[in-house]
Amino acid sequence: MRAQACAAVLTALMAGSTAFGGDAEFDRIVKAIESRYGTRPVRVPFLGVANLFVKVAHPEGATGFKLAVFEDLKSAEDPGVWRERNRFMDTLAGPNLHPLVRVTSRREGEATYIFMTPARKSARLLIATFERNEATVIEVQANIDTLLKSLEDPEHAGRTLRE
Amino acid sequence: MKIAMIVIAAAILPACAQEIKMPVNLDALADKADEAVTVTMDKSMLQFAGKFLNDRDGDEADVRRLIAGLEGIYVRSFQFRNEGEYSGADVEAVRSQLQSPAWGRLVGVRSKHGENVDVFFKDGGNAKLGGIVVIAAEPRELTIVNIVGTLDPARLADLGGEFGIPRLERSRTHGEAR
Repeated sequence: MRAQACAAVLTALMAGSTAFGGDAEFDRIVKAIESRYGTRPVRVPFLGVANLFVKVAHPEGATGFKLAVFEDLKSAEDPGVWRERNRFMDTLAGPNLHPLVRVTSRREGEATYIFMTPARKSARLLIATFERNEATVIEVQANIDTLLKSLEDPEHAGRTLRE
Repeated sequence: MKIAMIVIAAAILPACAQEIKMPVNLDALADKADEAVTVTMDKSMLQFAGKFLNDRDGDEADVRRLIAGLEGIYVRSFQFRNEGEYSGADVEAVRSQLQSPAWGRLVGVRSKHGENVDVFFKDGGNAKLGGIVVIAAEPRELTIVNIVGTLDPARLADLGGEFGIPRLERSRTHGEAR
């Protein structure tokens, strides 16, 4: 029994640390960013454990999440880079991934892209945030309140789910 | 009979095809803008959102009824660092699509400070609206809201503050020209 529990915890930790479980759309976006920027996401220790707590705590209506953090992205201030990134993120949309909100703030050096995948009883939100030197991709299973809040204040949604 | 059907179809089709399109040059504005917000809610996403709005909750029930007839809500909002970073031609690309007889301009506000608001309505028949376009242009800000589909004018204000649509303000102080 103890061995099984240990195995389960280890599996959760490993799944969390690599952060790429089963969801195809999340994986697709992460891989696209990897290949586009020639970088790999950093390992986030104990993410699996955090995910267990998220399932219990339900912050902001989220019932689970996946996370990938890219550091040293070195995204330039050049408008051309912003333009290309917008085009690139547009190409990631697909039949199962609707682009919902895009907020770009050159003043803050931040861009947030929210995609949605309708699920049976909730929405799966995929939030990609680019800052000056790093990017974060988050996938959460969200209820409708979270969805509406993310529409009202997309940057806040990206920030709270990331923190 | 067949000819009559073709004539009717020919009359109906252009009306159906009169939904306005957000021009490509608007997306180009996002590249120039200091801050840019794009909200895209097509019919499938509105229907999906509607499923989760509670019929027993007054506000949610209102919004649910309101979005039932909608085909899409599209918002583009830009803030620029300096004046003159977007041109009249950028706005005209949208406005020119609203010159057909199906559309009418209900509100047109011009301020001496360059803050202009136009609200265009499409007649949907049966005292309903068939679509709304709001163009709010200021020297360093431009917002375009395109609501596609049938909606009840009396419930229009309920959409303010939802789905990225700016909250509608009922009145302003005297002498303020907005």
